[in-house]
Amino acid sequence: MVSESVIAVSELTRRFGATTALASVTLSVPRGGVYGLVGANGAGKTTLIRHILGLLRAESGSVRVFGRDPVADPVGVLSRIGYLSEENDLPGWMRVDELLRYSRAFYPAWDDAYAEELRRTFALDPTAKIKNLSKGQKARAGLLVALAYRPELLVLDEPSSGLDPIVRRDILGAVIRTIADEGRTVLFSSHLLDEVEQVADHVTMISRGMIALSAPLRTLKESHGGMTLDEIFLAHVGTA
Amino acid sequence: MRSPAAAIAWELRRRHRWGLHAVLTYLAVLAAVRIFVVRHPVDFENDQTFALVVVVPLTATFIYFLAVFSFGLSGDLAARQSMYPARLFTLPVTTAALVRWPMLYGAAAMAALWFATRLLAVWPAGTDVPVVWPALLAASLMAWTQTLTWMPYALPGLRVMVTILWLATIDAVVLLALQHKTPEPVMLAILAPHVPLAYLTARFAVGRARRGDVPDWRRTRIARPPRALAHARGDQAQAWLEWRQHGRSLPAMVTIVVPLELLLLFAFREAPVIVFEILAAVLLTPPFMAAFVAGTLSGGVTPFIAMRPLTNASLVGAKLKVAMRSTVIAWLPIVIAVPLMLRLSGTLPLVLDWARQLIDVVGGPRATAIALLVLAALLALTWKQLVQSLCIGMSGREWLVKASVFATLSFLAVIVPLAHWIIGSRQAMAMLWNLLPWILAVLVCVKLAAAVWVAARLYDRGLFGGRALVIGAIGWDVAVLAVYGLLVWILPTLLFQQYFLALIVILAIPLTRLAAAPLALAWNRHR
Repeated sequence: MVSESVIAVSELTRRFGATTALASVTLSVPRGGVYGLVGANGAGKTTLIRHILGLLRAESGSVRVFGRDPVADPVGVLSRIGYLSEENDLPGWMRVDELLRYSRAFYPAWDDAYAEELRRTFALDPTAKIKNLSKGQKARAGLLVALAYRPELLVLDEPSSGLDPIVRRDILGAVIRTIADEGRTVLFSSHLLDEVEQVADHVTMISRGMIALSAPLRTLKESHGGMTLDEIFLAHVGTA
Repeated sequence: MRSPAAAIAWELRRRHRWGLHAVLTYLAVLAAVRIFVVRHPVDFENDQTFALVVVVPLTATFIYFLAVFSFGLSGDLAARQSMYPARLFTLPVTTAALVRWPMLYGAAAMAALWFATRLLAVWPAGTDVPVVWPALLAASLMAWTQTLTWMPYALPGLRVMVTILWLATIDAVVLLALQHKTPEPVMLAILAPHVPLAYLTARFAVGRARRGDVPDWRRTRIARPPRALAHARGDQAQAWLEWRQHGRSLPAMVTIVVPLELLLLFAFREAPVIVFEILAAVLLTPPFMAAFVAGTLSGGVTPFIAMRPLTNASLVGAKLKVAMRSTVIAWLPIVIAVPLMLRLSGTLPLVLDWARQLIDVVGGPRATAIALLVLAALLALTWKQLVQSLCIGMSGREWLVKASVFATLSFLAVIVPLAHWIIGSRQAMAMLWNLLPWILAVLVCVKLAAAVWVAARLYDRGLFGGRALVIGAIGWDVAVLAVYGLLVWILPTLLFQQYFLALIVILAIPLTRLAAAPLALAWNRHR
């Protein structure tokens, strides 16, 4: 594992009106491995991820992804990131094959054979319109376009919320598939702690916009006498 | 709120409060003008002036009400599915109640709009303005718009065609009745059945939609193999997406409306003035419709689009390219249909005679240049209408969009009566003519200062490099000089001073708002 940081967030603060969504968050995600970001709903996970993707501008503090500012250089950053979120707002009018052909134009590293393999694995009909797919199929389609160019950084923002166990298995499989290639990194945000526990190397707990705890999962478990991640979370964050 | 009726009314009022406030403000201004400025009916020199004074803002209000009460602002007009909000289907109320209340509110709003218009508008002297039947017509048009909007369709796009044809048919029947000087009781008898009929049809349509019953004729078509698409670059793929999402609306609308307009040539072939008006209406149809389509093209950026690894300039560039393609394709039916319909209707000799008269006055080369310039100006105007609001829409700020609409309507509400007053006063006209160069010069200074400010922000934010900005500025200068040179050649300098033409051209060629679009997008994309 290389120690270089893929994501470096420093003293990041963000307010929405009177609400402080992030308060002096500092975070460093090393290259390689799976980084779990856990927290209750409204803790600030999505706000942090939106800063990493350049969809929010840092009000104070700084965000660097691959050493670049994602707001100043969206092309340089986004072309190396695969992203899947709970919202998954793929254009409903597109067919699956159109979505693939559209997406491949943006990524020089797009792998047609791999995309086709994933499509078959996920049993997606190429002529089906996105809006006619089930929620699980839409998540699979989103996962397909996030993976097909083998991104250096895969960002999953609550990807499994509301999905059945089979689709959640596919998503976890994608995480494992991604880290099978050396040097690739996954940032996995979820409130389903058992999922994070299955795949994460490092866990950061976020609560009320602040980092409550951040450590390698193994260290965390050892220091808490073999407690599960659920129990550790409740001990440190409570129900907030 | 203790009843579904109150809840539906509250939602409509709450959601569209800014628009409804704007309408009320406009009506209050109109009332003030009516009571304090114009106390009696006035003599308008022609119908067009009267139309400009009251019809433009009130037609905008009419269309706004149609969109609000049919829930048409938050759905896909081209989709097969009903546009009635699906979330209301799960409420524990009958389908009749779901249909009845929005229909009742819509009809009441339309009737109120008519009564306000009749009461407050400045009507020409001697005009006998009817009381009841226009209110009933407005309510009928609202009811049918709601019905046809809420109905599920078997094919995509069918909703637009059916709605336009049906509403045009109702209008045509009323116009025919007016032409035959039909008395008010007969007009009422013609219009009275519409609202109940529309209500019954809407009940059936919403009931179907509530059951998820959407007919699909596409299943009977022979399945086509998926069309192979190959986008070499991201910006090409983005242009394809923009085209599929927004590019086809304008050509489709023009293709539907223009043939109907041109059919009027057959009815009025003996009246040269009306033939001229029909042709003018046809030529102004694409820019007019582009103003409506612009809202969809400049719509907000979804997270899916924001996540594309493209620069803000490329995302805006894709929209500009699609607007250009959409403009060219929208004009094709006109270029083909106008000569054809002129020939078939027997009005071609009339138009050729006008052309000969123009050639006699200005000469062949100048006449050709004027014709080409008018065509190019109309194409450019269509494109400009499509893209000039990008800097508002792409900001993704709803308050900015609403403020812009409000400002435009307020401007119209003030400028139209002001223009009418100036045209009617010889002294004011002379003063305006003397001041016009100064007014234009001030506007040019404001435009150029704003352009410099936008360019500085574009450079500071790293959205454009210095070289790109310089090339853009040179391109704009070349366009201005080319159009200016052409106008100086075409127009006699006795009529227009050269500096006057230069100021007009500088104001007409798009610059600031276009340049501000990437800035607005960056403001939205990186909040």
